[in-house]
Amino acid sequence: MPDSTAVAEAPAVTRPGAAPAARRTRKPGHLPVHLILLIGALLMVLPFVWELVTSLKTYHEAISVPPTLWPHEFAWSNYSKVLGQIPFGSMFLNSVLLTLGRTAGQLVTCSLAGYVFARLRFPGRGILFAAYLSVLMIPGQLLLIPQYDIMQGLHWLNSIQAVVVPGMFSAFGTFLLRQFFLSMPDEIEEAARLDGAGPVRVFWNVMLPLARPGLVALGLITMLWSWNDLLWPLIVNTDTDKMPLSAGLATLQGQYSTDFGVLMAGALMASAPMIIAFVFLQRHFIKGIALSAGKG
Amino acid sequence: MVSQVRGMRKRRAGVRSAPAYRGDKRWAYLLLLPSFAGLVLFYLWPAVKTLYLSFTNVGPFGGSTWTGLSNYTALVHDDKFVRSMVNTVLYAGVVVVVGIPLAIAIAALLNTSGLRGKTFYRTLYFLPVVTMPAAVGMVWQWLYNGDYGLINYLLSVVGIGGPRWLTTAPLALFAIAVVGIWMGLGNNIIILLAGLQGIPKELYEAADVDGASRFTQFRKITVPMLSPSIFFVTVLSVINTLQVFDLLFLMMSKTNPALPETETIVYLFYERAFVDNQRGAAAAVSFVLFVLMLIITAVQFRLQRKWVHYA
Amino acid sequence: MRRVRVRALGALALAGALVAGLAGCGGGSDNGEVTLTYGIWAKDAGTQNLMKSLGAEFTKTHPNVHVKVQSTPFAQYFTKLQTAAGGGSAPDVFWMNGPNFKLYASNGMLQPLSSDTMNPGNYPSTLVKLYTYNGKRYGVPKDFDTIGLWYNKKMFDAAGVKYPDAKWTWSDMQAAAKKLTNKAKGQYGIAAAENDQQNFYNTILQAGGNVISADGKKSGYDDPKSVQGIKLWTDLIKNGYSPTYSEMSDTQPVQMFQSGKVAMFYDGSWDATTFNQAGLKDTIDVAPLPAGPAGKAVVLHGLSNAVYAKGQHTKQAEEFVKFLGSKKAADMTAKEGSVLPAYNGTQQQWVKSMPQWNLQVFIDQLAVTRPYPVSKNTAAWTKYQDEILGQAWDQKISAQQACTQLAQKMNEALAKEK
Repeated sequence: MPDSTAVAEAPAVTRPGAAPAARRTRKPGHLPVHLILLIGALLMVLPFVWELVTSLKTYHEAISVPPTLWPHEFAWSNYSKVLGQIPFGSMFLNSVLLTLGRTAGQLVTCSLAGYVFARLRFPGRGILFAAYLSVLMIPGQLLLIPQYDIMQGLHWLNSIQAVVVPGMFSAFGTFLLRQFFLSMPDEIEEAARLDGAGPVRVFWNVMLPLARPGLVALGLITMLWSWNDLLWPLIVNTDTDKMPLSAGLATLQGQYSTDFGVLMAGALMASAPMIIAFVFLQRHFIKGIALSAGKG
Repeated sequence: MVSQVRGMRKRRAGVRSAPAYRGDKRWAYLLLLPSFAGLVLFYLWPAVKTLYLSFTNVGPFGGSTWTGLSNYTALVHDDKFVRSMVNTVLYAGVVVVVGIPLAIAIAALLNTSGLRGKTFYRTLYFLPVVTMPAAVGMVWQWLYNGDYGLINYLLSVVGIGGPRWLTTAPLALFAIAVVGIWMGLGNNIIILLAGLQGIPKELYEAADVDGASRFTQFRKITVPMLSPSIFFVTVLSVINTLQVFDLLFLMMSKTNPALPETETIVYLFYERAFVDNQRGAAAAVSFVLFVLMLIITAVQFRLQRKWVHYA
Repeated sequence: MRRVRVRALGALALAGALVAGLAGCGGGSDNGEVTLTYGIWAKDAGTQNLMKSLGAEFTKTHPNVHVKVQSTPFAQYFTKLQTAAGGGSAPDVFWMNGPNFKLYASNGMLQPLSSDTMNPGNYPSTLVKLYTYNGKRYGVPKDFDTIGLWYNKKMFDAAGVKYPDAKWTWSDMQAAAKKLTNKAKGQYGIAAAENDQQNFYNTILQAGGNVISADGKKSGYDDPKSVQGIKLWTDLIKNGYSPTYSEMSDTQPVQMFQSGKVAMFYDGSWDATTFNQAGLKDTIDVAPLPAGPAGKAVVLHGLSNAVYAKGQHTKQAEEFVKFLGSKKAADMTAKEGSVLPAYNGTQQQWVKSMPQWNLQVFIDQLAVTRPYPVSKNTAAWTKYQDEILGQAWDQKISAQQACTQLAQKMNEALAKEK
């Protein structure tokens, strides 16, 4: 944003003589910049292009040497073969439920906790908050074995709640939203309090609407992480009908298929929803990343 | 008396904190309950339990016996573990040392004032970040394949016989690091770009007046002003790369001869905990990783005083 | 104030309901009806569907018992089963394989089966023995697999080499591998994969050695004859007649065979359907394994259906495994075609399902089969087997060195078994 306004202002600079000169040097100056960025961008998308091309090749064409750069005949059947080799439909549904469940859960628990830590005073606040901060430091895999045992104890292995419930809580999300609630001016809250509002009403009517950018940021980041999460689902949901797509994909590659066209089709189908979401909600995604970075 | 205490508290807490109101306490605990219960059950308790398990030997069908430090002392003599430590640190080092300067350079180019097509570039660079790592691993394995892969084909076009990237010992780690860099680049660019946009334009204008070259400006203005963001992405990248698992799991099969020189700590942990069923030994591995991460992060925070410039 | 409280409660209730609702999904009801879980690892959707229809077929005669198939990828199957069995939550009936059998049987995880449930006369005796522990039988043989020499007819024709037959010996195979290798075209005579059941378990026996002593207490890798059975493979790589170890881990050997990069491949009966689906009908065929210095030998392995001893419905589970071991179930299995059913005399249907190939070799070889090498904790030493032999395959150490190291590690692991 700031740079686009800078462009708009450039011609208005009241320094006769200097402005045209600057414009003259700037124009050709952009060419090498574009060139470098374009080469970089090409390298970034090349794997995707190759993935798409391979996904449309027959088994024999995919392993022909030298590789063909464009499929001779489009093997659309690769996409339907994915459905035959893994239960794609139920895996997709599992991924959706996992993502929605975790995201909704985190938005509820983290916004409540973030609000409490930011705006309410109560004995033990310091210690409790320190507990949250300490969890931020713990790497996820440290917790896996006991978490697995808990799931087993609850008879939750191979169930949707096994992949959802532990992901509904987040120290990071609490911390992120706490920062948002902290930054809100006291006057608004005081005004509401003078009107007789209790902490819940302040939270619901005053704070939550103001924290919307934070909620969107947390929601999108959680969505992204949940959809792509591999290790935890791989461990707890080993029943192929109960796996999300990430684990299903690892399985597809692991033993079911050596047909690269089918594998690529599966990879594309599994990552497509997040890529599409990103393309449409790009601004929010990027803001979310930048915000969480700034606040972290 | 009560109000006096309250007033003191308020003052101590500083300007940003709201005053306390009657009845808030109960609400505070109630609203915190769902989050805190989850945190205790799924995070704090498991952390304590893992520490306990790391001092035990867990039998094949459950049940643990206290074995003291033996899991830890066994790690010292465990070649596989020592190698996995080296591999992990090497991997993290490559991804950070190559990946972050690359991100800074691209972010700086993207920040060129008046550049067109920024959104376009940003989208493409960010695409790998939103792609499922499981899919990424699969695609890159295919690209690297020594028989049918695109990379070796392109090399052969210019007359180079490409190596077997993923099954040749020291190479595989770097091949995977390339994928790690590719995946993380977009994220770092976004954070750095946000930092760049916070640098006042006046600084550059003043430098222009002084006749400083663009490179000098980059070195003398951009880098120091950006250092807090650089520090942040470095800390984040180090923490993430030390825990790399998905890519290895997808790209390195169990019979890969390069696996010993590529296997990372989390991969080893997964293998011990969930393939070999050696839960106690695995718990010890994960605790060592935790300590390693704490040390490396602490060192980074100590070193930042030397180079990070807070405005 | 009132409104506020209601809203707050609403929010909490929502959070609570979310947790409770999700938790509720896992429960089950009980009203005389019994649902058995059946744990399997399925290679493909076809096998999974077969298991489901076997369950449905069983329900026809046992209307109160339903079967729920739980399919886990093989890579995670036994880890998962082990923790579940220890925690009391394993499936009521599950697939069991040779390497893991004794670990489960000796730890009381499997229900001993009466001769009414399992009539040993119905199955190959090698298989029955594989699932017997301390004189008790714990598994109903489900299928079996032997190994054959699959070969690419077109590549043989092009190189002017005679197709393999029952009279072939190791030297015939080696000579053919040499002739079929064409470095310029990137073609190899054979894929010397580091596969145990398909490759070196057989050649060790064919050389007169053994993997493990008959009582399952001592490693056989220090026997010079066993070394010979390993060296056969590592030499094929050394001489350049096989892709290198690194090449074979980059691209799977089975894939190299399917794409015509290698001409010969030792592989099990289970891959017949895969080859059929890959459109290799007219390109390939199969022959018996070549004989070694000590004659012919093939390891026999097969899965069994076992009953979880700590399950809730062991009685119904026994009924179900009895059905799974019946001729009816075997016929259904043969028809599907993925595996050879273990029930004696039901295999012809499978042979006929792919008439273009000489699948009879898999059944004829039953005459020379030997038991699959196992001990009480097989996984404890196969781990070393994979690791150490891998180095020999990778030409980092000699076959002799590898076998010496392996024998030592394996004996250490075996000594820990009680």
